[in-house]
Amino acid sequence: MIKNKSSKPKRYLTTILVYIITVIVCFIFFFPCLWIILAAFSGTGSIYNFNGFFPPNFSLKTFEQLFTGVTDVSGDTVMYPYMTWFLNTLIIACATAVIGTLLLISTAYVISRFEFKARRKLMKGALVLGMFPAFMGMTAVFIMCTQFQLLNNLWGPILMYSTTAPVGYLVQKGFFDSIPTSIYEAARIDGVSNFKAFYKITLPLSKPILVYTVLTQFTWPWSDFILPKLLLQDKSNYTVAVGLMTLPDTEFSRFCAGSVFIAVPIVLLYFFVSKYMVNGLTAGAVKG
Amino acid sequence: MVQRITNYFTALGKVIKNWFIKLGKNTKSFFVNLPRNTKNFFIGLYQIIKHYLITSQYPVYLSAIVMGLGQVFNKQYIKAALYFLVEVGFILFMVFLGGNYLSGLITLGVNQADPILGIQGDNSIALMLMGLVSVVIIIVFIYLYISNIRDCYRTRNVILNGKKPNTFVQGLKDLLDKNFYKTVLAIPLIGVAVFSVVPIIFMILIAFTNYSSSLEPPTDLIDWAGFESFQTIFGAGNISDTFFKILGWNILWAILTTVINYFIGLGLALLLNSKKLKGKVFFRAFPILAYAIPGFITMLAFKFMFSNGGPINYYLKLFGADTIDFLGIDSTWTARFIGLFVNAWVSTPSIMLLATGILSNLNTDLYEAASIDGASKFRQFYKITLPFVVFSTTPVIISQFISNFNNFGVFYFLRGSIYSSGYFVASDTDLLINWLYRLSIDQQNYNIGGAISILVFIITSIISLLVYVRSPAYRKEDTYR
Amino acid sequence: MKKSIFWLLPILLLSSCGPSGQDGTSVGGDVSELIFSKFDGNLEKERGAVLHILENDLAKESGYLKELLDGFNEKYAEYGITAVDANLDEYTDLVNSGPYGTGPDVLYQANDSLMKYVPGKHILPIPVDRLECYDQVSQIGWDTFTSDANYNSTFTYGVPVNIQTPLLYYRKDLLPSDWQANWDDNKNNIPDMVETRNSMYQYSKQLKESSGGTKFGFMRAMQDSYFVSGYLFTYGAYIFGNNNKDTKDIGMHKGNAKYGAKFIRDFSAVMDNRCTDLTINATGYSLLANGEMFATTNTPDTTRSYITTFRDVLINPTGQYKMTAEEANKYIDENLVITTLPKMPKNGDVTDPNETEFIDTTMMGGIHGYSISAYTKYPNACLAFLDYATSYELLKKRTETLQLSPAREDLAEVTTPINKEIYNMLENGTIYMMPSIEELALFWPSAQTLFADLATDGLRKDNFRYDTLDKIQAALEKLSKDVYDAIWTLQ
Repeated sequence: MIKNKSSKPKRYLTTILVYIITVIVCFIFFFPCLWIILAAFSGTGSIYNFNGFFPPNFSLKTFEQLFTGVTDVSGDTVMYPYMTWFLNTLIIACATAVIGTLLLISTAYVISRFEFKARRKLMKGALVLGMFPAFMGMTAVFIMCTQFQLLNNLWGPILMYSTTAPVGYLVQKGFFDSIPTSIYEAARIDGVSNFKAFYKITLPLSKPILVYTVLTQFTWPWSDFILPKLLLQDKSNYTVAVGLMTLPDTEFSRFCAGSVFIAVPIVLLYFFVSKYMVNGLTAGAVKG
Repeated sequence: MVQRITNYFTALGKVIKNWFIKLGKNTKSFFVNLPRNTKNFFIGLYQIIKHYLITSQYPVYLSAIVMGLGQVFNKQYIKAALYFLVEVGFILFMVFLGGNYLSGLITLGVNQADPILGIQGDNSIALMLMGLVSVVIIIVFIYLYISNIRDCYRTRNVILNGKKPNTFVQGLKDLLDKNFYKTVLAIPLIGVAVFSVVPIIFMILIAFTNYSSSLEPPTDLIDWAGFESFQTIFGAGNISDTFFKILGWNILWAILTTVINYFIGLGLALLLNSKKLKGKVFFRAFPILAYAIPGFITMLAFKFMFSNGGPINYYLKLFGADTIDFLGIDSTWTARFIGLFVNAWVSTPSIMLLATGILSNLNTDLYEAASIDGASKFRQFYKITLPFVVFSTTPVIISQFISNFNNFGVFYFLRGSIYSSGYFVASDTDLLINWLYRLSIDQQNYNIGGAISILVFIITSIISLLVYVRSPAYRKEDTYR
Repeated sequence: MKKSIFWLLPILLLSSCGPSGQDGTSVGGDVSELIFSKFDGNLEKERGAVLHILENDLAKESGYLKELLDGFNEKYAEYGITAVDANLDEYTDLVNSGPYGTGPDVLYQANDSLMKYVPGKHILPIPVDRLECYDQVSQIGWDTFTSDANYNSTFTYGVPVNIQTPLLYYRKDLLPSDWQANWDDNKNNIPDMVETRNSMYQYSKQLKESSGGTKFGFMRAMQDSYFVSGYLFTYGAYIFGNNNKDTKDIGMHKGNAKYGAKFIRDFSAVMDNRCTDLTINATGYSLLANGEMFATTNTPDTTRSYITTFRDVLINPTGQYKMTAEEANKYIDENLVITTLPKMPKNGDVTDPNETEFIDTTMMGGIHGYSISAYTKYPNACLAFLDYATSYELLKKRTETLQLSPAREDLAEVTTPINKEIYNMLENGTIYMMPSIEELALFWPSAQTLFADLATDGLRKDNFRYDTLDKIQAALEKLSKDVYDAIWTLQ
């Protein structure tokens, strides 16, 4: 305390310094986002007509085109059916969020809570799986989908995303590890079955990690483009990421408008649940 | 300090040495003991069968022939029906599909297709893949088959002891209680086996075939080719040169990004947690914004930003400076630094979130004690914060390292159209994974791609093994707990 | 793990004796009769067919595809045959869709893409002599789609529709006002810079220097192998020997190819570094429209984009011109000129203002055409569609709507003069037809590496890598060797 008092000017200096650095950092993070948003409202398509970062004129034309799906050229042929893509993305992401979370949470819970013979082997296996460059298996995934009639079918990506989700169980397992075993022992004595213990005791305690899992399971398919590009060939089955990637370079502002529109829900979600995220992630990582 | 580093490396050397010695020993003992193990295996099998035959009665024996038959004699009709259906299903599968798939896995197809004449031939890669899926199905069936015999045997013993065996409903209840873990793990295990393990094994197998750009299934048949693709990689000078050049940069990149992202993330967390800062929620929103925007959008935006006609060059030109070829063919290091920056921009927010959480768990008493002792802020950070955070997050660091090692997006977006001289179908910023993509997806040399992914796997697993071995978590002998 | 392998072994061995089938490749009798028996002309038995047509985006967005489909559906309504848009990416690989039932029945792609399907037998041989367009399409066009890869017989696998080759796009209104006096030495009322590369070079140099690097003469992506390899072909280089079939003979260093390579280096010096990355490909339209550059080259399929971008600039109410739509169209007609490429210097030095002998530029080009997927269930309906889509009326409409160059002689005669010239270029062999073999994929990366380096070298201030013809020649020899190695080490 004595030490602090003696250096009051220095303390102000550090405070100012902290603010300056914070503002700079925030600017670095914000600026590219701002640029994309500005570009989305640009009156011209290509970024090379911009005056540096700033579009020469602003209009809502891009958004209009985005939702009607037409190009400037003719005005009536739907080339880029953004709303269809958006709906597809929503279906895939939601289904993955539900199925993937279910599989992942239950796997993590079982591995954290139960002792059985194959447990360690399973954990080692998951570790090894994580070390393979995953998309090299893409050819196999493609062929598999052709054999299971899942090509050009929204269920293809859903199945791939959600069934492979349990490999990343570590964070969730870490969270379940942090729940004291005494609770379960008490329940056990009362004759509660394991399944009941899971949904009556564990789930209510796991809100942060559930939110975290749902969110991560949702955002991955929401912004991935490699898998859907491979599996969804028909343009009306595209997801937003795939569709936007097919836009020519001259349509940069439409790309930005499309991006802003799909980024907004995710950004909002993150803001509302960032507290849970921090809690869930922390508990998971520390123990994981 | 020097002493510690030397110690570390001697220890590292030992670990590597031991690892190889162990590997050698295991391999040797495997082959030396192969005849004996084989013998033992059959003797064991014989003994198991004998055991069941002698100790149990005819139902078990029957169950071993036809699944579920024993259960009928145990008067467990529903269970019997289920087991029987499994066996019927399995036999039907093997007769109509599985046998063909399995033989296809070995022959890789014998009938050449001719779509023009409408002749349906064998699709080599589909046969290979479905052969692997059939293997999974066979493993599941064997598991069920054994559990069928075991179940019959146990029930028999219960009956012989004069007790009442479990009813079917009781069995179902067990699935939610005693066998809860089996119930829960069944679907994820099969899912992961089919959609994650099978593709990886498939990829490994592809490395040993001749599946390259000159062959195009389904109309061309591919064949096994042994170690040819490895010979190509290490035999042809330009390919092996490229491999080692890329590998060097790849390792450097993985280390740099992991360290940079980790410390920036930690720094951000400390900064935004600072007591001197008001409006934390507001400021924290910005990194979260960066976190939330899908990666492909930011990567493309950065590519445009740094392109020769992009905004940054626009301003350079406006102020009379020369424009800079940020991502061009000559800009090896500029492009690499931009890559580091872009990756930091994308990845640090998540580490910040993580570090924020961990810092909130940090015991504040320690700091108070430290300030009373007169320790400087920096010393406090170095002595208390850093060890605590690093200790808590070793697994995260390792997984970060692996994901950075295999970071596909950054250079795919930034420099996907650049090919550098002195590299074989690659640019000088490419990581192994990018090269892999170009070789296998762009150029369709899947066998080379498969071989490289095996090498990537070996490298990443050795590195992470080493880090694990030296990590506090491992020394506590509690890695997987 | 060990155990499970033991479990598997006997099963694997047992089931390895799968069904053995007949050899699919041997076809007895008259092959073409057998294959063409699919095309028995019996549309009645294909009643109810729905044909999935893969067209390019240009045809789609201009509304031409809709017209084509509507017209066809009306004509064949009596057979109950309909054609619909396949709604796939225009570059969709038939290999990854056809065999799995998600591919198109009829596809419109470039000759190199289509002919790549031939060895795998993914597309059907077509009895082209039954088509109305047969006599009118250039023989070189038919040859491009002909292959003897299968059944030891020669078949035609596609129907040529449009010729693709780079053209010169320039703006008359950006010519110097004194061009008739100073830039028309031969007094033929055509500016010299669009006639010879040397004049274009001088003009570009002058523009860049006088404007301080804000205005340019000729610009285009100089590392884009498709466009710039033509400069090497002009002086005698080739990709594969023996009519682009011999992959052991790589000829990128043959003849005076080094002049072409030097040309790339020299010309990039009068552009700026936007030509060394691909930004120029996206920005070219607007650079020409807003007057930052005077001329560029591109293929006919981009004509629409130049026009629309230019129109947008002209009618922009806050811009420089503020024209009405009508005025703008008139202005574009008068000032946006599309013509054949300027000639190259015979002595190979584009910087030499006194060169008087010139040779025609040979450019890489291709032909887009229709093919029929081998996986279609309705070959007769597909053939009917091909006949309809390549008929005089429809192709005329296509040529006019999409502003492409037709591969039909009778159409090339009657549409714009440039179409006639392009048709003649095809006949004269100044279009270097893109090789239709798989190995071409291994040519692009190596070529692009060198071209990007050459283009960058023109803009380097020191540490030149290609400042002498000998260095260039060495680099070209290395290029040929690299391509050779890439092809032969991986096979």
